[in-house]
Amino acid sequence: MTEPDAEFLVIFRDEANERLDHIVDTLLAVEAGRAAADAIDGLFRDAHTIKGAAGMLGLDEVRALAHSMEDVLESARESGSFPTELVEPLLRAADALRSHVAGSGAPSADLLDELASRRAELLGGGEPLESPEAGTREDEAPAGPAPAAGQERRTIRVAAEKLDRLLDLVGETVLHRRRLEHQLGVRVHEDEGIADELGLGDRLLDDLKGAAIQMRTLPLESITGPFPRAVRDIAAAAGREVDLVITGADTELDRVILASMSEPLVHLLRNAIGHGIEPPDEREAAGKPRAGTVELRAEQRGGTVEITVADDGRGVPLETLERVAREGTTLAEALARAGFSTAGEVTELSGRGVGLDAVKTQAEMFGGSVEVRSEPGQGTSVVLRLPLALALLEVLLVERGGQVYGVPLGSIEEAVSVDGMLTLSGLPALELRGRSVPVADLAALAGADAEPPGSAAPALVIAAGGRRVAAVCDTLIGQEEVVVKPLGPLLETVSGYLGAAILGDGRIALLLDPSSLVREPGRAARRRPEVAPSPIGGNIQAPKVLVVEDSFTVRELQRSILEAAGYRVETARDGRDALDRLNRDPGIDIVVTDIEMPEMDGIALTEAIRADPQRSSLPVVIVTTRGSEEDRKRGLEAGADAYMAKRSFDQRALLETVEQLVGR
Amino acid sequence: MYVRLRVGAEAYALPVENVLEVAQLGQIAPVPGSGPYVLGVYNLRGEVLPVFDLAKLFGIDRDVEPDRLLVTEHAGRKAGFAVSEVSDVGELPDAVQEAESDFLSGASLFEGELIGIIDVPRVFDALERGGAG
Repeated sequence: MTEPDAEFLVIFRDEANERLDHIVDTLLAVEAGRAAADAIDGLFRDAHTIKGAAGMLGLDEVRALAHSMEDVLESARESGSFPTELVEPLLRAADALRSHVAGSGAPSADLLDELASRRAELLGGGEPLESPEAGTREDEAPAGPAPAAGQERRTIRVAAEKLDRLLDLVGETVLHRRRLEHQLGVRVHEDEGIADELGLGDRLLDDLKGAAIQMRTLPLESITGPFPRAVRDIAAAAGREVDLVITGADTELDRVILASMSEPLVHLLRNAIGHGIEPPDEREAAGKPRAGTVELRAEQRGGTVEITVADDGRGVPLETLERVAREGTTLAEALARAGFSTAGEVTELSGRGVGLDAVKTQAEMFGGSVEVRSEPGQGTSVVLRLPLALALLEVLLVERGGQVYGVPLGSIEEAVSVDGMLTLSGLPALELRGRSVPVADLAALAGADAEPPGSAAPALVIAAGGRRVAAVCDTLIGQEEVVVKPLGPLLETVSGYLGAAILGDGRIALLLDPSSLVREPGRAARRRPEVAPSPIGGNIQAPKVLVVEDSFTVRELQRSILEAAGYRVETARDGRDALDRLNRDPGIDIVVTDIEMPEMDGIALTEAIRADPQRSSLPVVIVTTRGSEEDRKRGLEAGADAYMAKRSFDQRALLETVEQLVGR
Repeated sequence: MYVRLRVGAEAYALPVENVLEVAQLGQIAPVPGSGPYVLGVYNLRGEVLPVFDLAKLFGIDRDVEPDRLLVTEHAGRKAGFAVSEVSDVGELPDAVQEAESDFLSGASLFEGELIGIIDVPRVFDALERGGAG
């Protein structure tokens, strides 16, 4: 077992102690009979979290204790009662945990036995159940060297939101600097004093930004601790011999990203061992060493961190690679998709796919990407590209159709001019170093309308997930580090953007998500399907009323009144719109219409309905603010079944009339 | 208290507690791929504010482009509503009719005119679902 990282122990201790404080408080509240109804759930969560973290750090004694607390609590939860006699042993367990967490615990075999028998009592008083975890205690009596107990480190725990706020503020300060420079304009070059101060400010700001980012980042090794053990276990279970090599473990990553990548990385390791590395005999026969190598490698490239999981196993079969090439997709896409299909695909592929799909989804959520490379017989490598910090992004700003866009620098391979364009099977493409790259208008990729770009327009070669596209724009503005602002919950259904950034001149640049730019057919599929508001009182059998009214307010009121009375309601904005709807929907049972409307008024609508033999018996109610005898006569002459004034908004009169006419 | 406004020729009102400020509709960056009722995003003193065209959202015809921006807020969500005219701030008589609408809480009669009362939380919920009714 690897020695737990000292830095992680400190964090674990802080968190565990906080959880233990909470456990003790809650237990005392239970004893005093003033605990909340969900107290047991909170206790369970606390014990569960401590167990999980201790397991990851290899603190077996802590894990065993937390596990048996969890067992007792779960049994209590299932039995639906929390006898106060449980409080005392649980409190002792919490104390024992605290000592173990501090690195000075005594063996707790007796306590584990007691907790096991409490649990058995709860479950119905049968034989004391030996918890499987409790059984492991013999072989861990001396719990290894007391983990770094004496090593005091000066740390403070800070709420993550405060760090986020700090980074936000740094971003705002950077932004403010740009605005200031923009305002100063040429004066910067005329006044040496100003230029010097600005230069100094730049350096200070850079340092400040670095420090703020560093507070949010943690080294990769903070999550790789359990990996060697996990690899050993997976390899043993799969009958493989595997060496895990970790390089670049000190590479730093945003802690939010890091925390969510731990599980996906285990997936990738599992894939590499289970589906990549061959059994030892097979390797030997192929002239390879019996033990395979799985490498986990991390390195920073500008604002991006690349994490690679590479194996020297059998690789993806040649026919699969050929099929992928034929289909014009990427290996990453094909494998991730294979994870979903149940029939026809080789299980080998789908096995790899399930994990890969999870990894891909996770990486793309952060504006990152996944690429898979494989050589038959030689091995496979999965490359994750992730942003270094979530809030700041290095982008290239470009202009297209009067709008400024930012494209993450990490996804741009080069900028080219499109004058040497050729056409491949009807689609424009560029020949770049013997490779053809499809060309597309950035405006079209983003889903915007714009005049066609000029003949020698610049194009960005954007790569994501192994696909490329040369996106044509009007001008390249330049490279800039921007603060990523979310588009917010109200624009959540619009996909394809990493967010927006405010530029020095006050304009807003939309930050494009490279993985959706390279995904064909561009923008068409980018909007999530619209979720229609659920019909209120949508009784299938209820009569359907078509409300024709140009005022939105009146339309909504009438809809509301009729729906509350159990009718289904369709609306139209004028007579023409109403006729369209009637043509599309033969299920309309009655029409309620206003008179004065643009395009086609209510009288003309009524006449049109009556003129159609199929609709001659469709009831029509005219509701209007005009109440003269003349109007009334015109309406009835046109063929309306009823005529009512809406001045009073008498909903009873409306409902009675409609009810009479549809015969309910 | 309500802020009274016009969308096209129709009269509406918004509870003042949902209105943060009223501004001239400035430069707005369109967001390609969003719904037709999304005008785009606006730089509100360093904040990225989504701006919605109420006429398009409600399906109201209008002759002139909107030129006023109402900055609205509810439970931490913020949005700009582009409207034709912001008339004034004042009291309204009690609603003549409540409504179960995706956008309105009801309507009130004021100076002989029917005024739709915009329900900001309902509008936000509808926008968050990704569409107009």
